[in-house]
Amino acid sequence: MKLSVKWLKDYINFDLSIEELAHRLTMAGLEVEKISSVGGDTVFELEITPNRVDCLNVIGLAREVSAILDKNCNIPMIKELPVSTGKCDIEIKDRAGCKRYIATLIKGINISVAPTYITDRLTSLGNRAINNVVDITNFVLFETGQPLHAFDYDKLIGAKIIVRRARKGEKIITLDGEERELDEEILVIADAERPVAIAGIMGGKDTEVGPDTQNILLESAYFDPILIRRASRKLGLSTDSSYRFERGIDYFGVKQSTARAVNLILKHAGGRVAAITELLLGRRAYSGKKIKISQQIINDRLGVKIGLPKIKKIFKRQGFFVSELSSDAIYVVPPSFRSDIKETVDLVEEVARIVGYDNLAIDLPLIKGENIAPFKARTPREILKQSLFANGVSEVITYAMINREQLKKSILEDSKVVYIKNPLTTEQEIMRPSMLPSLLSITKLNINRGERNLRFFEIGKVYLPEGEKETLAILISGLRSNDWRDSVKPELNFYDLKGIIEAAVSRLYIDTLEFKRADIPCMEHGIAAEMFLSGQKIGYIGKINRNVVENWSIRAKNIFYTELNVEALYQKWQPHRKFVPPITFPSIIRDVSIAVKANICFKDIKEIAFSLGKGMLASVRFNEEYLGEKIPKGYRGISFSLIYQSSERTLTEEEVDLVHENIRKTLEKQLGAIIR
Amino acid sequence: MKWDFKQIEQDVLAEAKEISSQSQLESFRIKYLGKKGVLAQIYASLAALSVEEKPVIGKQANSLRKIIENIIKEKKKTISHASSDIDIRNLIDVTIPGVATEQGHKHILTQTIDEICSLFERLGFVIYEGPEIETEFHNFTALNIPVDHPSRDAFDTFYLEQEDKENKGRYLLLRSHTSPGQIRIMKQNTPPFAVVIPGRVYRPDAVDASHSFMFHQIEGLLVDKDVKFSHLKGLLSVFCKRFFGEDIKMRLRPHFFPFTEPSAEVDISCYICKGKGCSVCGRKGWLEIMGCGLVHPKVFEAVGYRKNAYTGLAFGLGVERIAMLKYGIHDIRLFYENDKRFLVQF
Repeated sequence: MKLSVKWLKDYINFDLSIEELAHRLTMAGLEVEKISSVGGDTVFELEITPNRVDCLNVIGLAREVSAILDKNCNIPMIKELPVSTGKCDIEIKDRAGCKRYIATLIKGINISVAPTYITDRLTSLGNRAINNVVDITNFVLFETGQPLHAFDYDKLIGAKIIVRRARKGEKIITLDGEERELDEEILVIADAERPVAIAGIMGGKDTEVGPDTQNILLESAYFDPILIRRASRKLGLSTDSSYRFERGIDYFGVKQSTARAVNLILKHAGGRVAAITELLLGRRAYSGKKIKISQQIINDRLGVKIGLPKIKKIFKRQGFFVSELSSDAIYVVPPSFRSDIKETVDLVEEVARIVGYDNLAIDLPLIKGENIAPFKARTPREILKQSLFANGVSEVITYAMINREQLKKSILEDSKVVYIKNPLTTEQEIMRPSMLPSLLSITKLNINRGERNLRFFEIGKVYLPEGEKETLAILISGLRSNDWRDSVKPELNFYDLKGIIEAAVSRLYIDTLEFKRADIPCMEHGIAAEMFLSGQKIGYIGKINRNVVENWSIRAKNIFYTELNVEALYQKWQPHRKFVPPITFPSIIRDVSIAVKANICFKDIKEIAFSLGKGMLASVRFNEEYLGEKIPKGYRGISFSLIYQSSERTLTEEEVDLVHENIRKTLEKQLGAIIR
Repeated sequence: MKWDFKQIEQDVLAEAKEISSQSQLESFRIKYLGKKGVLAQIYASLAALSVEEKPVIGKQANSLRKIIENIIKEKKKTISHASSDIDIRNLIDVTIPGVATEQGHKHILTQTIDEICSLFERLGFVIYEGPEIETEFHNFTALNIPVDHPSRDAFDTFYLEQEDKENKGRYLLLRSHTSPGQIRIMKQNTPPFAVVIPGRVYRPDAVDASHSFMFHQIEGLLVDKDVKFSHLKGLLSVFCKRFFGEDIKMRLRPHFFPFTEPSAEVDISCYICKGKGCSVCGRKGWLEIMGCGLVHPKVFEAVGYRKNAYTGLAFGLGVERIAMLKYGIHDIRLFYENDKRFLVQF
């Protein structure tokens, strides 16, 4: 909001430099964002917080400055309206929407230019001068905070005013020349036939006061803030009037502001008051709430020692009514224009900001935090991250909203998604049910910028109809390593990603993670698996389907991706594990090379081996896989080592031989394995 | 056996002249002084000599040995190690880049959040996390933000096509600040307590260099009996000094939030221009970094605390803004672009 310093000085005298004044206002809660020079005047751009409607006018600001500087101010006060026997024809149909309406009929006015002190002040605020009557209504708006509107009385059909809701389809051409369509949610000022103003927001062009106007009807009213706010949003129309009505103007100040305006109009435009009508549907007189406050309360809350005399002085300067209660407590009644003062804490803040936050004490609290258990996920989440960092995977943070097109490109289901009612753009119409589209998007960006060796992970949320779920997604692509000593640089493959996730999960001391090959639409057939934790499916892993890569136009040969629910991991996480001493007795290692049918997997081999191990088999170590010429068609070659070891004694070659032979025979028989 | 000491000595001197490398010197030494060398043979042959001959030959052998030892001693000093004999493959270019497993980087926003949360943890705060999908009650009503009020404009929100089961006819939303976490903590626990609540928040702001529709905040809440404004000043002063450095100045400026009273905004002195005014801080010389205040009684009422039973302080800061100030990042969109060249800088 703009404040002209010259105008401010019309009501209060002070001896501060512009910078000092700006600083004092800022430190009292009226932040000066910008200072500009406008034709010999200085204009402040203030940020007025929504609770201080009283500061949306010069008089209010003068009052503030008076309290801040502890100086008297000179506010033009006209308490009574002129007397007139004439009555205007005013009808309020929407009694909730308009609780107070004063119509003043001034006849025989002379439309001309307003005096310079009025036009100057309006110009410094960026308003152009129009004519004396209109300028005076604007002047009083900025001076008192009361929005006013003047109608050309002769243009009001039926010479009456009706305050009502518009009818659906009714139209009005507003002062800015735009035609606007109205409905029953919008309050209008109408004459006998049609709307002549959008109440509280903008007047109509038809009835505007122009060079030929001879008689005016001056309107000043109190409109319901919520109604005005909704209409303003609906029409996309915000004005100096609507801005103030939305925040709730001073209901009890309407009369004085009207009196001020009428006085100025008679002075500068001539004419005489032919009729005044006031409709008052709310309380007639202001009786503010008595708020109790004591020196003790203020000092306790602020942690300072401020004496009661100083406290009383601060309230009185602000126009509050103070009455004694006891030696250290008082009753304070805020004036009608301070709607932000409702209870004791509001008074505490008032004292604090006038004394100055800078001048208040500084201290440290005694913090008792043990009552709350720390959020469980943080530690295991950090453990996962550290393992991923150690394996060269960097953390990314991507947007939580995507669009359906991106789901389709990624060959993901779009049936169970959560929609956003009011997205900013179609790019963000849904909450992501998967992190794949976001990660593919940044993969594309990086590859296009020349970086093709990528290892990214994100621990964030995916959003499903049943709720938000914390999820880990990892995407890798490019070379396994960039070692200049290697003449052939290998590309990443499935086992790199599997290794990364196995390593991370193992750091949580979880050893029940299992992989089962599965068909996953967004992945290449045969290079994809579902992941299970103690039998519960928690995610999937594999090579991204080439169609997806093409859909996204990503110039990468291979992309491997995994996505899993980490909440399940956090549940299974063991903060610590008991030590298992390494076995001291020597082991006997037997290497085995077999060819098995393609559908047999290493897990099957291990299961058979352990079931026949008779407690002597300590582990099965995978060595190599090959699909060379020597392997029969439909088979694949696997070589592994069976490590026999006992924790109780040294095993003999003979007893191991027996068990080993049995295992070999069983593998041959049950898996159709060919021992090579 | 007769030894021609003169000849041997001549040979020694001639051979010595040719020695130019360590290995040649070593061969020379072994030839003459080795276990099976010339001198060893001479000494061995002494046993077969007569009593008169032994001392004579012995003396000559000793002086020969001395000559050879001196030659070796001198030669050792002058021969350099970098001779043609040494394998060039043992000399490496030490300026070629070393090879190590590439390390992953924590995202700078996470680093900032972790640093700030850890700072408060050391002061006794506990970290808590709330959900991103919230109800109007938690996001607005309980925080004393009425539905149809201009103060709602600052908290414009994304609504979801999901009904709020506890409030018929209303929909769920994406939290527009981390403050709803305050309500949850207070409903689930009895004071005293102190929490910090980091997390993602969402506002329908058009995206530009300093605005994003998704960003991160950290909320703080301390509830106890007798919490004062002076405590708020002190706590935040400690935070600013520890996070931004001892030289930084902090000030509290009156402001308005529906859920605190008194309310304030926290400014730190601009560490780029040291308060003189620059493109980053405008002409002010101060940078706004957080909002704070004493918890409003209406909030305590909304969570069911007995009237006047407790007092509290609360604060909230925007992580992106603070990270951009501290690390000199000029565009907020860089955080979500995730260009590898950005990620690996931190």
